[in-house]
Parts: sequence; C-alpha cells; structure tokens
Amino acid sequence: MVCVSMEKYTLIITEKPDAAQRIASALDAQGKAKKMEHNGVPYYVAKRDKEIIVVPALGHLYTVAEERKGRNYYPVFSFKWVPRHVAEKGAKQIRTWLETISKLANDADMFIDACDYDIEGSIIGYCLLKYACTNKEGISKRMKYSTLTKEELEKSYAEMLPHLDFALIEAGRTRHEVDWLYGINLSRALTIAARDWSGKYATLSTGRVQGPTLRFLVAREKAIRCFVPTPYWSIKAEAKIAGSIFEAGYEKKIIETKMEANTIVDACKGKNGETEKIDVKKFQQSPPMPFDLGALQSEAYGLFGYTPIRTSNIAQHLYLDALISYPRTSSQKLPPAINYEAILKNLNKVPEYKKLTAELLTKTELKPNEGKKEDSAHPAIYPTGNLPERVLETSERNIWDLVVRRFMAVFGEPAIRQSIKVCINVNGHRFYLRGRQTLREGWLRFYGPYVRSEEVLLPSIEEGQAINIKKVILEDKFTKPPSRYNPSSLLKKMEEAEIGTKATRAGIIQTLYDRKYVRDERMIVTDLGFEVLEVLKKYCPTVVSMKLTKELEEKMNKIQINGEKRENVLLDAVEILKPVAEELKGKEKIIGEQLSNAIKRARLEEGTIGICPICNTGKLVMIYSRRTGKRFVGCTNYFKGLCKASFPLPQKGTVRPLGTNCRGCGWPTVQVRIKGRRPWTLCFNPKCPLKEERRKRIELQNMQ
Amino acid sequence: MNCKICSREAGENGYCELHMKAYESIVKKYEPWKRALKISWKEYLSEIVKNPLTGEWAKEVAEYLINTGEKQNVTNG
Repeated sequence: MVCVSMEKYTLIITEKPDAAQRIASALDAQGKAKKMEHNGVPYYVAKRDKEIIVVPALGHLYTVAEERKGRNYYPVFSFKWVPRHVAEKGAKQIRTWLETISKLANDADMFIDACDYDIEGSIIGYCLLKYACTNKEGISKRMKYSTLTKEELEKSYAEMLPHLDFALIEAGRTRHEVDWLYGINLSRALTIAARDWSGKYATLSTGRVQGPTLRFLVAREKAIRCFVPTPYWSIKAEAKIAGSIFEAGYEKKIIETKMEANTIVDACKGKNGETEKIDVKKFQQSPPMPFDLGALQSEAYGLFGYTPIRTSNIAQHLYLDALISYPRTSSQKLPPAINYEAILKNLNKVPEYKKLTAELLTKTELKPNEGKKEDSAHPAIYPTGNLPERVLETSERNIWDLVVRRFMAVFGEPAIRQSIKVCINVNGHRFYLRGRQTLREGWLRFYGPYVRSEEVLLPSIEEGQAINIKKVILEDKFTKPPSRYNPSSLLKKMEEAEIGTKATRAGIIQTLYDRKYVRDERMIVTDLGFEVLEVLKKYCPTVVSMKLTKELEEKMNKIQINGEKRENVLLDAVEILKPVAEELKGKEKIIGEQLSNAIKRARLEEGTIGICPICNTGKLVMIYSRRTGKRFVGCTNYFKGLCKASFPLPQKGTVRPLGTNCRGCGWPTVQVRIKGRRPWTLCFNPKCPLKEERRKRIELQNMQ
Repeated sequence: MNCKICSREAGENGYCELHMKAYESIVKKYEPWKRALKISWKEYLSEIVKNPLTGEWAKEVAEYLINTGEKQNVTNG
C-alpha cells in the first residue's frame, strides 16, 4: 500500500534515490525523514508545516520512441515520448516505478520538481509531471540547488521558483529528439545493410555527435599510419660545475644533417667553455581556475588515469553524498554566495587540510581566481565542506581530495618562479644550461601532490666563468608521429569543437569502445571504425560534417534562451536526414558488403592472440568447434596443412588477447575473466618456465 | 581493381586511398632523408621499414616498393 494520509501533501520529485533521501531529511523538521516503500520503490515522508513526500526517479523514466512498431525499417520520422519499459527490453522495473509515482501524485495538492537543474534533470522532472502525474507540469514549482547540503536544500525549498524552466525543457526535448532521429535512422541503415548482406546480426551505430567524433579519431589514425619519421640530431654537453654534472643543450635544438652535427661535435670535443651570458627571469604563475567537469575529467585522467566517464560517475557519487557541488557544470566561477569561509572552516576539521585552510582563513579577502566560462544553472565544482560519513573508496577519496585542493588553490597567491638560462660558449658554439626554481610557493602549497612543475637548481655561476666540459654527446633522433587520442584528450577535442554536451561526451566515447570502433586506452581505430566512417563519408558526408553538427548544436543552444523554436530545429534535422536515408537505402548492398567484411575482419582481429610460436608464420586465433561448441586456440596455418598447434581454453568466462607476450617464455598470452574470480593471465606454453617454477613452489609449500 | 597492397578498391595509381596517402608521405619525406644522410631511394626505403616510428601503411608501401623495385616517381600522381 502507498502511504496515504487523509490530508493532501506536497510531492517532490528527484532524479535519484540518494537525492530523495537527502532532500527529505533536509526538509523534515526533525531531520529524520521516514523511508517508505511501495512495490520496491522507495520514497520518503518528511513532516514540516505540511506533509512532504519525496519520490525519486531512476534517471530517465521516459524516452523517445517511434510511433510504429518494428525494428526493420527506416527512415523513421514520427516519434513520441513513452515510458522506457515500453521502448526498451529489460526495463520492466520502470513500470512499477511509474505506477508508484502516479499513485503518490493522486493525493498531492502541490508538486515540486527537484531534479538536477540541467537539461537532463529538467526533462526527467517534466516527463514525470506531465505523464506520470497527469499534466502537472504547468502547476509545478521548481527547486534549484547546486549541492545537497541541508542549508542549501532548505534555502532552495524556501525560495523555490514559481514554475519549471520551460526553455531548458524545450532545449532538452529537442536535443533528445534530434539525437534520436539521427541515431535511429543512421544506425538502422548500417545495421540492416550489414545484416541483409551477411545474414548475421551485429549492432552498428552512429549518431549526430558519434560520427564527427569518430572522424577525429580516423583522421588522427590515418596520420599515424601514414607517418614517415625524419631523422635529425641533437647535441648536448655535460658540464662539471661545483663538483656536479649538468646537461647543457646546443643552441639549435634540431640539426637536420648528420654532417653539420658531426662538424659541431668535432669542434667542441675536448674543449672547455666559458659562460657568456646569464639570463635570470622572474615570472608569476597564477593560481588554477576552479574545476568545470571537463577540466576535472582531464586532471583526473592525467593524475590517476581515470577515464572521463569514470570520473564523471565518481563525481556524481560524491555529489549525492553532499561532499561536492553538482559536477555536470561548465562554469569556472565560484560566486561568494557559496560561502567560501564556511566551507574552509568545515574543511579545517580534516587533519591534512588543517594548516592550509587555517592559512587561507587568515586572509583579509578570499577571492577565487575564476575562469571565463559560465553556466547559468550551476557554479564550478567545489567541496561543500561536508565531511565523508562513510569510508570513501580510494578513487572517491582521490577525486574528493583533488576537488578540495583545487578549491583551496584557487584562493592562493600567485606562485613566483625564476628561470635561469646560462649561455656557455664552447669553441664558438653556444650551449644553454637551464634552471627553474620556485621562489614563492603561493597556491602550489595548496595543490600539493597535484603540482606538476619541476625544480632544476643550478649552482652559483658568474659571467666569464670557465666551465669544464666533460663530454659532448650527439643523439640520433627521429620526428615522432602525432600522439593518439586517449579518452581525456578526445573529450577535450569534443569540447573545443563544441559538439555534444558535458553530460553526453563521456558516454559517446564509451559507445565508440562498445561498438568496437576503437580499442585500447591510447585509442586505435579498428577496421570496423574505419569502414563505418568510410561509408558515412562516402554516402552521407553531411552527417559527419563538423560544420553541420556545430550549426545544429548552436540552434539547440538557442532554444535554451528562447532564441529558436523546437519545431524549426526538428524540421532542419529531418531535412538533413531524408536524402541521407534515401542514399543509404539505394546503396544498401554495397554498404552491406563493405560493412560485413569489416565486421568479419574485426571479429578475426578480436580473436587473434598473436604469432604462432610453433610455426612462427601463422597466427593463433580463438576458434569455436562446430562439433562440440567448445572453444580452443588454433593456428591459422592448420587449414593450409602447415601447422597443427592447438591449445585448450577455459570454457567459462571471457577470454581476451592481451597483445603482450609471456615474460617467462615469450609466447602470446590471454586474460581470462570469470565472474567472482580475479582475472588472470594465461600462457599456452605447457613447458613455460614460469609454470614449472610455480609448480615447484606449490610442491614445496605442500611439503612444508 | 584492387589496391596493390590490400583488398580495397584502387585508384588509377594502383593504390587505395589510404595506401596512396602513405605512398605520398614516403615520397615527400625522401628529400629530408637524402639531405640528412645522403642515402639512395632503396636505402631510404629499408631504413623506414626498420624504423619503429614508421606508420603501418607507410611500412606496407615501403616493403612493397622494395620487393617490386618500383622507382620513386613511377606512380606519383
């Protein structure tokens, strides 16, 4: 039974269960909201001047779906918003959830949308109020907050907005609908073409942002695969000063011919030098700016190796624990209203922040070093000042610490650093000795472990001083190919190109991995990724065009400020997609063949373990026996009658080629993952010395 | 017609679009190599095949050029 009170109550809708619990507790006069449950759906009852029921959503409970049923056709241009369980398999729980919200809405006389104040949150709240609560979107009020702290939630309740943010909702609806139109039509065209050609099903997808993102990757991959390095030389001299050895670089960093390099080395060998000039420059290093989501993701990747989506998820947990402010923000501003002093005072209770916060609190004025980027809905990411109520996992602790230290650092003084450049003349050739030193730490102290600046201290040197040159070293070098994107640098590229939103970019990158268009952390485009982009570029270049994607993005942003209409943007999208769908349909056979072959190659590539150590010419691949259905490893030369190498594989769990060779015997290895067990590396060599060692160790242990 | 190196469709020059790009890169980079090391086209090709920084497609084209003995300017354009 749903808790029914005789009196009418206020119904508050939140985006997630954790937020519901926090809001209910914050609004309850005693601070102890009562947790109730209906058919497994939790909700909270808070008593104040009036009864309040806070019910959570589970993220998006409604989605865009086609009006006509069936998955085997395109183009599709008519759609409607439906409960997720109607459109998606395996979303049965949603039905119960919506029924509970509908029942709770029956006895409510006031409705408040308290979902996150951004595009996604606004859509979640709007759909629930419109569909589950039956057209209550027009009378609903809106809570706006950036942290889940009691103080801010109470303030947000007391000063709630009189109505929903309809411009934000309209922008969100359009974004979902346009993305759905792109996704459904293009992905279906690719999937159907490949399936009809090969008779086998494989999900292929692309989308409004996914296509152009894949294009960035493919362009980089092509540049890497076509790269030819150019030789060059660099020269350095080892100078002995005050008993220590220092390296000085030659004035020309790149020497293009070996002859010139040899001439310089010959001229300097065995000669001593003399300091000609000493340049000392002092410079200021400003404090960093507060984190927006992109900057946090990038820093966390650089420091801890967390992918953008992982950082985003961790930050979301910390937000729901009221430890940090709302993370999906693009703001680099920290308004005084967040109360810097109170936050620092609370953080002062943490031993490792005690000294640092105390130092900041002695300042006459706390002024953050803000960036230019703004977000109308939320400030930059900052710690709320609340302390963890549970033991944080290492990754959570890392992100929280990073946010806290960055918050402190933005209030720090600029650091003062000094660079020293000593010019040493060796037989008419100049070498430079460079030093770098921090004179005043300023904000660097607050950022502590996350500061990435090197100190190179030089001894005291005077102009005209004789320098003992111990060695002149000539280094053969080559130009390097452009670096591969990693999830963090790709996310930055998407931000720069202004495609996608802060909430969607990390997910799109993950989809590229899930579809097997890319692999590895240093992102390598697979054959399938190449082929999909090739098809899109050849038959529908408009959908991977950066210009068009950006234009559409700008129009959608304008809806948010009432500068554009949803209908116009949808019409634009349909205008783009109609000829594209026709072209794809007309070329279905050629496209199907191209994609099917790529899928086949991708599957083979996926199952290739490495060079066969028996014949050294074939490749070891994972094979499924047609007779028994069991999997094993065999050599591709078997079919040519050249090699009979085969090895057993575990039949449970997943097996993934590692791409590395066994350190004991050099044979290729795989990683085996079985649920509930730690993944392990498997070497196929029955005579691997590591296996022998292990066997002996176990025998010895058993004897003892 | 298929590419001289892979199964992709080839252009007039006998290379697919991707291997053609690699071929162009090889031809373009020969000048700085010649200047730097005073080496012949053949020596240059074997150097870039050995070099771990050379891209996969460029390596395939270089190996093909070594095996066929194709001259530098034969398929240019």
